[in-house]
Amino acid sequence: MTRSLRDCWVSFGQFAATFGSFQMFSLRLLPYLPKAFLRPRLITDQIYSLGALSLVLIMFGGFFVGTVLALQSYSTLVEFGQVDALGAFASEALVRELGPVVAALLFAGRAGSAVASEVGLMRATNQLAAMELMAVDPMQRVIVPRFIAGVISVPLLAAIFCTMGVLGAYLVGVHLLGVDVGAFWSHIQDRVDLVDDVGSGLFKSFVFGISASLMGVYEGYNAAPNASGVSRAATRTVVITSVWILLFDFVLTGMTMPGV
Amino acid sequence: MLSHKKPPNIVEIQNVSYRRGKRAIFDGLNMNIPRGAVCAVMGPSGTGKTTLLNLITGQLLPNDGAVLFDGRAVCPCSRHGLYDMRRQIGVLFQDGALLTDLNVYENVAFPLREHTRLSELLIRQIVLMRLHSVGLRAAWQRMPSELSGGMARRVGLARALVMDPKLIIYDEPFTGLDPIAVGVILRLIRHTNDVLGITSIVVTHDVAEAEMLADLIFLISEGKVVASGSPAEMQQKDSAMVQQFMQGLADGPVPFHYPGASYADQLQTMSRP
Repeated sequence: MTRSLRDCWVSFGQFAATFGSFQMFSLRLLPYLPKAFLRPRLITDQIYSLGALSLVLIMFGGFFVGTVLALQSYSTLVEFGQVDALGAFASEALVRELGPVVAALLFAGRAGSAVASEVGLMRATNQLAAMELMAVDPMQRVIVPRFIAGVISVPLLAAIFCTMGVLGAYLVGVHLLGVDVGAFWSHIQDRVDLVDDVGSGLFKSFVFGISASLMGVYEGYNAAPNASGVSRAATRTVVITSVWILLFDFVLTGMTMPGV
Repeated sequence: MLSHKKPPNIVEIQNVSYRRGKRAIFDGLNMNIPRGAVCAVMGPSGTGKTTLLNLITGQLLPNDGAVLFDGRAVCPCSRHGLYDMRRQIGVLFQDGALLTDLNVYENVAFPLREHTRLSELLIRQIVLMRLHSVGLRAAWQRMPSELSGGMARRVGLARALVMDPKLIIYDEPFTGLDPIAVGVILRLIRHTNDVLGITSIVVTHDVAEAEMLADLIFLISEGKVVASGSPAEMQQKDSAMVQQFMQGLADGPVPFHYPGASYADQLQTMSRP
């Protein structure tokens, strides 16, 4: 019993230390943000490697989530005689929930872990130390451009995910299940609000982008300088970011849902 | 007229103590690195040679005492001041520590691009000159993964030299190299030091190379400089510690057996159920 309590206390201490270190890291990042935009090339390079190279995965994921959503919702809607609302149903689910959440989860799996591994490997191979000794601040040169690139990329990827999802739902709904094409699009036009739905979806994906990018650079920067340290950083990035995204999604949905 | 006389020692380590946890790495360490010399810092593994480099470059702060570079205290408390000082120091890591996403040319150009506003033409001239001086001008397009260990260190040296530093620090520059590459690095360190009129600190375990290269050797053990002098003087020292290290003897003041209980006691203890 005493041992269990002691283990709990030690675990709590470790959690508090990690949380504190994460807060300090986040605060340390802030003053670098405005200066980073003076060298946009560093950011655009990272947008390419984190965002553009994730495009295929995001488009593929978005398309098939849209098709499955159409198939699933069709069987329910047909019972209520509301098949024409299939487009609105799928679009709203994609734009408000599935798009931001699934795109951010895919981003964390592909790009977040890549950032953690890359920065961790730079730590392990003394590249960050070499920069420090060349009087180049790694926070400015390595960390901040990757963070900003992630924050910019995730909302864009979420928008592409949603577009592909709607396209998938359209192909299945209209061409496979026979929903009327005019009804499909007009219901979307009626139901999906630019501010309430698209705006809240983009806001969510912006928050998720901050979470995924911050965790990737934090874990990489603080990785133990060896092989297991780097792999642990990548794994922790994916696991912790996924939990954060789901937690924040609940909180943000509660905040942005009309009438809640 | 005011005269700005340079101090004779580019680095002065004054009574420095440094502890890691409860373990004292340095305890009253004193060391002066004269301007223009090649100095070898040697000592058994774990004596804190790399820690010493970290203290000189301001990556670590001593618990007591002071480290002076070019007459000014090295103080990590001001990032601006620290970075100003580091621009005057080049460091060559054991593995070169090249930036893996940049090719050889961009690695060498990296400090120039970060710290200067030179034109691309001028950067090209400086980078090619530095690469030529280490014999790798023709390899400018190669990526770090395409270089051998010796070549990576030569690129690292070109990068360390590109900002015209006053001091270059070499961390284990001969480790893991074949004899030809060792010869190349030896020649480059000596040649660079003499031609550019800079100062070099070489941390190494290799006694033969240190004797060939250094003007001055410092032997560190148990947190202090136990002996220093020219290679010839070091060979003449009577100290058992110096002789064990310089001759590479397996047993002596640094024991072969890790200190602990006697063999008989341990056998008895471990055979008990």
